[in-house]
Amino acid sequence: MFKATELNLRNEQREKRWRLLFLLMALLLILPVLIILILLVYRGGPVISWSFLFEFPRNGMTEGGIFPALLGTIFLVVVALVFSVPLGVAAAVYLSEYAPDNWLTRTINLAIINLAGVPSIVHALFGVGAFVLFFEFGTSILAASLTLGIMTLPVVIVATRESLQAVPHAFREACWALGATRWQTIRRIVLPNAVSGILTGIILEVSRTAGETAPIMFTGAAFFVPFLPESVYDQTMALSLHLYTISTQVTGVPEDLPFGVALVLIGIVLSMNALSIAFRVYLRNKKKW
Amino acid sequence: MKIIRLLLALTVALTLTSCGRSGESGHSSSRKVIQNKGSDTLVNVAQAWAEAYRKINPNVAVAVSGGGSGTGIAALINGTVDIANASREIKPSEMEQARANGHTPVEHIVGYDALAVYVHKDNPLEGISLDQLAEIYGEGGTLEKWTQLGVEVPGCEKQEIIRVSRQNNSGTYVYFREAVLGKNRDYKLGSRDMHGSKDVVDLVQHTPCAIGYSGLAYATPEVKMLCIEDGQGNCVAPSEKTAFDGTYPIARPLFMYTDGEPTGAIKAYLDWILSDEGQCIIKEKGYAPVREVVCEGDAQTGE
Repeated sequence: MFKATELNLRNEQREKRWRLLFLLMALLLILPVLIILILLVYRGGPVISWSFLFEFPRNGMTEGGIFPALLGTIFLVVVALVFSVPLGVAAAVYLSEYAPDNWLTRTINLAIINLAGVPSIVHALFGVGAFVLFFEFGTSILAASLTLGIMTLPVVIVATRESLQAVPHAFREACWALGATRWQTIRRIVLPNAVSGILTGIILEVSRTAGETAPIMFTGAAFFVPFLPESVYDQTMALSLHLYTISTQVTGVPEDLPFGVALVLIGIVLSMNALSIAFRVYLRNKKKW
Repeated sequence: MKIIRLLLALTVALTLTSCGRSGESGHSSSRKVIQNKGSDTLVNVAQAWAEAYRKINPNVAVAVSGGGSGTGIAALINGTVDIANASREIKPSEMEQARANGHTPVEHIVGYDALAVYVHKDNPLEGISLDQLAEIYGEGGTLEKWTQLGVEVPGCEKQEIIRVSRQNNSGTYVYFREAVLGKNRDYKLGSRDMHGSKDVVDLVQHTPCAIGYSGLAYATPEVKMLCIEDGQGNCVAPSEKTAFDGTYPIARPLFMYTDGEPTGAIKAYLDWILSDEGQCIIKEKGYAPVREVVCEGDAQTGE
C-alpha cells in the first residue's frame, strides 16, 4: 500500500472542513422552523382553547374566538379543491398518457410553468377582474376559491404527472398486450398505482391554499362577517386574513391573540403535511413493485 | 407567437371551466347580506356596528372589509358593495365614473374624526401650529429638524424629523393634505407611508424622531398627541368634543356612500347607525358622533 503524502493529508483536512461547513448550512435550515414553532407555541399556546376555536370574535375582534375564520378557511380550501383537483388530474393524465410531443403540448407545459410562477397578488387581481367583476360572482367564496384553485393548479398537475410517470412503462405495455385500450389501462393500472403521489400533491395544495392571503383578500375574504358562510356566494372570514387584520388594523388586541391565530393556521398546514407524509409511506408499503 | 398562443390557451381554458360553474345555482336568500367596504379609519367602527347589529336584526348580516376609502368607492363604482365607507368626500371624477356605470352615490355622514398629530412620548413638544405642520410635511417645507421647533428630543440622534404618513389611496392622506398643506401643495418626498392607521401610531411609538398623523381613535397611552395652536395663544387638543364642536381644526366627517337612496335592509341599517345606539358605538371607539348623544359609561370616559 502507499503512504499518505502531505498533499493527501491536506486535501483530507480540507475535505472535512468543507463538509462541516455544508452540514452547518443545512442545519441552519432547521433553525427558522424551530424558532417560529417555539415562539408560536410559547406565545400562542395559552390562547388556544375550545372557546377560542369554536366561538365568534367579540368586542371588536379583541376577544372571543376565530370560528368563522377557521370554518371560512376550510370552506375556501374545499371549494378550491373541487375545482382544481378534477381539472388538474385530468390535465396531468392527458399530458402524461396521451400527449404527443408537439407544439401544443409544449405550449401547455410552458403555460403550467408560467402559471406556477405568477405571484399570488397577480392571481388576486386576475380573480377580481375575471370572477368578481366579469362573471359577476361578486366578492364571494366562489370567486376566492376559483382564484385559489387556479393558483394551485400547477402543483396538482406537476405532482400528478410525476407520479403517473413513476409507474413503470412495462405495466402499460403488459396491459396493452392483453388488448386493453388506453383508457382501460389508465383507469385500472396507471391511476391506482399513482394514487399516493396524487394524494400527496393534493394535500400539499391544501396546505398552500390554507395559508394564502393575497388571492382571497380582494376576491372573497372579509375583515369581519358576523355569520357563518352558508353558500358559495357568501363572503367569509379566513384565518390568514384575520391574522393580518388583527395584527395591523384592529386596536386593543391582546398581544398574544395573533400568535394564537398563527398557531392554529400553521397547525392546519403542518398536520396536512404530516398527513401527506403518512399517506405516502402507507401507500408505498402497499406497493408490490 | 408562442406567447399569443399561450395566452389564448389560458383564456380558453379559464373561460370554459368558469362558465360551466356560473350557472350552478341562484343566490340563497334566506338572509340579507349587506356588503360594506372601504376606509381603514372606519373599518373598526364598521366592524363594531356589524357585530352589534347582528343582535338587533339576526336576518341581516353585514360583511365588512377594509382597504382604504379609495378601495371602497371603487367597489361602489363597480357595483360590488352596498355601502362604501370613506374618510373623505367622493371626488368629482369618481362621481362621474359611478354615473357612467349607472350608479348614483348618495352621501351619509355617520360621524366625525379628529386627526391627531402623534409624537414619541419622550418628545417634549406640546403643541404645534398648522403652518408648522405644513412646513414639516409639505413639498419645499423648511422644517427638517426638531431643534427648529425649539425642542431637543431625547433618543433622537440627529434631531431629524422622521415624517410618518399614509399610502396615497387612504382618505386620511387626502384629508390631511387638504386640511394642512392646502389643495395644491404636495407632500414632501421621503416620508414613511404606512398602510394603516394603527401602523402609523405603532411606528411613532417606537421611533423617538418621528411625527405622524392618524385618527384619534388609534391613540394609545404609549404615544403623545400634540395640541394644535391657533396662533392666538390657544392650543386645542384633539378629542371627541373638540372634533364635534369644530374647535379642533383637523377634524373631518366620516362618510358612508350608498348606491342611490337606501331602501329596505340598507336603509334600516343606516338608520340604526344614526340612532343613539349606533352613535354610542362610534363614540365608544374614539370618534365623535354626528350629534350629542348620552351613552352608558359616559361618566368614566368623559374628558
